[in-house]
Amino acid sequence: MKALALRAPVAQRTWLLVALGALLVALTLFMPALEPLFRAAFPELNNPVYQRESFLQLTLDHVTLVLVSSLISVSVGVGAGLFVTRRAGREFEPMVSSLAAIGQTFPPVAVLAIVVPLAGFGFVPTIVALTLYGLLPVVQNTIAGLGTVPPNTLEAARGTGMSSMQILWRVELPLAMRVIIAGVRVSVIINIGTATIGSTVGAQSLGTPIIAGLVGSNIAYVIQGAALVGLLAIVTDLLFERLERRFTFGG
Amino acid sequence: MIELEGLTKTYAGKDVVQDVSLRVESGEFGVLIGPSGCGKSTTLRMINRLIPLTRGRIILGDEDVTQLPPEQLRRRIGYAIQSIGLFPHWTVAENIAVVPGLLKWAKSRSDARVDELLNLFHLDAGEFRDKYPHQLSGGQAQRVGVARALAADPEVLLMDEPFGAVDPITREVLQNEMLRVHAQTRKTIVFVTHDMDEALKLASRIAILNAGRLVQYDRPIELLTQPADDFVNDFIGKADLGLKLLSRRWVHQYQRQAPLFDDTTAQSTGNQHAWEVDAQRHPIRLHGGRLDGDGTRQRTEVNAEWVATAEMPMKEALSRMVWFRVMALPVIDAEGRLIGEVTMHGVMGRQP
Ligand SMILES: Nc1ncnc2c1ncn2[C@@H]1O[C@H](COP(=O)(O)OP(=O)(O)OP(=O)(O)O)[C@@H](O)[C@H]1O
Ligand SMILES: [Mg+2]
Repeated sequence: MKALALRAPVAQRTWLLVALGALLVALTLFMPALEPLFRAAFPELNNPVYQRESFLQLTLDHVTLVLVSSLISVSVGVGAGLFVTRRAGREFEPMVSSLAAIGQTFPPVAVLAIVVPLAGFGFVPTIVALTLYGLLPVVQNTIAGLGTVPPNTLEAARGTGMSSMQILWRVELPLAMRVIIAGVRVSVIINIGTATIGSTVGAQSLGTPIIAGLVGSNIAYVIQGAALVGLLAIVTDLLFERLERRFTFGG
Repeated sequence: MIELEGLTKTYAGKDVVQDVSLRVESGEFGVLIGPSGCGKSTTLRMINRLIPLTRGRIILGDEDVTQLPPEQLRRRIGYAIQSIGLFPHWTVAENIAVVPGLLKWAKSRSDARVDELLNLFHLDAGEFRDKYPHQLSGGQAQRVGVARALAADPEVLLMDEPFGAVDPITREVLQNEMLRVHAQTRKTIVFVTHDMDEALKLASRIAILNAGRLVQYDRPIELLTQPADDFVNDFIGKADLGLKLLSRRWVHQYQRQAPLFDDTTAQSTGNQHAWEVDAQRHPIRLHGGRLDGDGTRQRTEVNAEWVATAEMPMKEALSRMVWFRVMALPVIDAEGRLIGEVTMHGVMGRQP
């Protein structure tokens, strides 16, 4: 009975994921086919569909920005979280936590303003800003996740004669994984939204039509860019939800 | 065999365990007991070096293991704790097979060992092997915890209040099971508890600790009859000393020949009571033997609730006599045949 009750919403969300995923792919590939629709909605516009770059190209660029920055955030964030929860790094915990928090309170736009003069326009400053911005949830959740491992489980693990490395890989990380992934999920979702501002410094992304639309008073461009960003975020979120569920053990 | 020599632990200049020396022989069931905070867990956890020793030596078999790398030592010593600490992301089988895995046993060997241990604890291997810890009852989880500790056939088994968190009925069942497992495996055990009844029930030797010092290390009977000092005396508790003594004595020590009831001589034997048996010598009725009775004319049907077996603790036999208000209990063998009796007079008489 209970199993059935739990299964139903999961199945529904699977359909939602498939449907939204299909929509995302379709819009990415065939946005120009919607031209009549946008023309009807915005008769005053000469070019109601953004055509300067293909939406496929923009989406791929966007995903690349998010992937690269998230890979760096996750490696650095999980690494830092691990370090400060080991005996050797315990005293650095407050420092690392505050650094990560500063990274997030710093507005990405301000980071761009600082990095652009140093690293130039385009890809690099955007990656730096996104990486810093996405660090906090990863660090926080790594520390919190490792903290949820029950002390008696650790005591038992030590009692069996596992080395500290074996305890980390076989016990602590698997048990902390759900919470760590939740942090990565937040970080990635935030960065899918934030990556759009990269377009202000010349990093091509789904923000490019949005900025172009804002500058040229073309609402249709804004809608097209924003719809794809939103869809990308929701689909990614649903994927992470499934991943998290794999690391749920017991009641 | 495990021997502790001058084991000492100092925290912030204070000795929480001070110069504890004791030796648990092979196959012995040693129990550490004492008031809360006296250093029982610290002592136990120094044995497998979960806590580093301040001073002292540990000898396992004929080997000084004080300098052995802790991980290696722990794979030779089973460890079971009150909170169990099963790994929630692993099945029962994976939990039990941890140490065999660390010791790189072949898969077939450790699989066979898992089944053997589940059987030892009367857990159906087919049913339990693939369950996860959250699907187990408290008692089942604790059995799996002990099975995990025994998995690689360790030289010593350390247990820290393993039954402290389960309900009294389950605790009793687990204690009996532990006695059976100990009898079957002849493991050397060091067991921590703060429950004197548990200690008396399980121990072949009891170490009493007080404020980090070992005050007496003796067989249970000697502890009860010859306490080393007032602390031990008070700790054991005078209130039910008589019953505690009986909990360490067995029916066979009090057993005597049972007078049989015989129709023709019923009135003339002069016995206060007699047992009527059937052709297979199963006791069916007690004639007389009631405090409020009327000689041998009163009859009481024997039922399964008020019989004794030779290995039953005398405390339990006495409890049955009191509960069923009879002056004698039949002692039966495995086939239910009458092999003797224990009586209220016998209990009150000479202490064996
Ligand atoms: N890490 C530590 N630092 C300082 N003192 C400690 C530490 N661990 C234990 N102690 C002290 O050592 C003493 C013995 O503790 P221990 O846990 O061995 O007691 P115990 O006999 O097992 O008690 P209980 O029956 O309550 O489990 C206690 O007074 C405790 O406060
Ligand atoms: Mg303790």
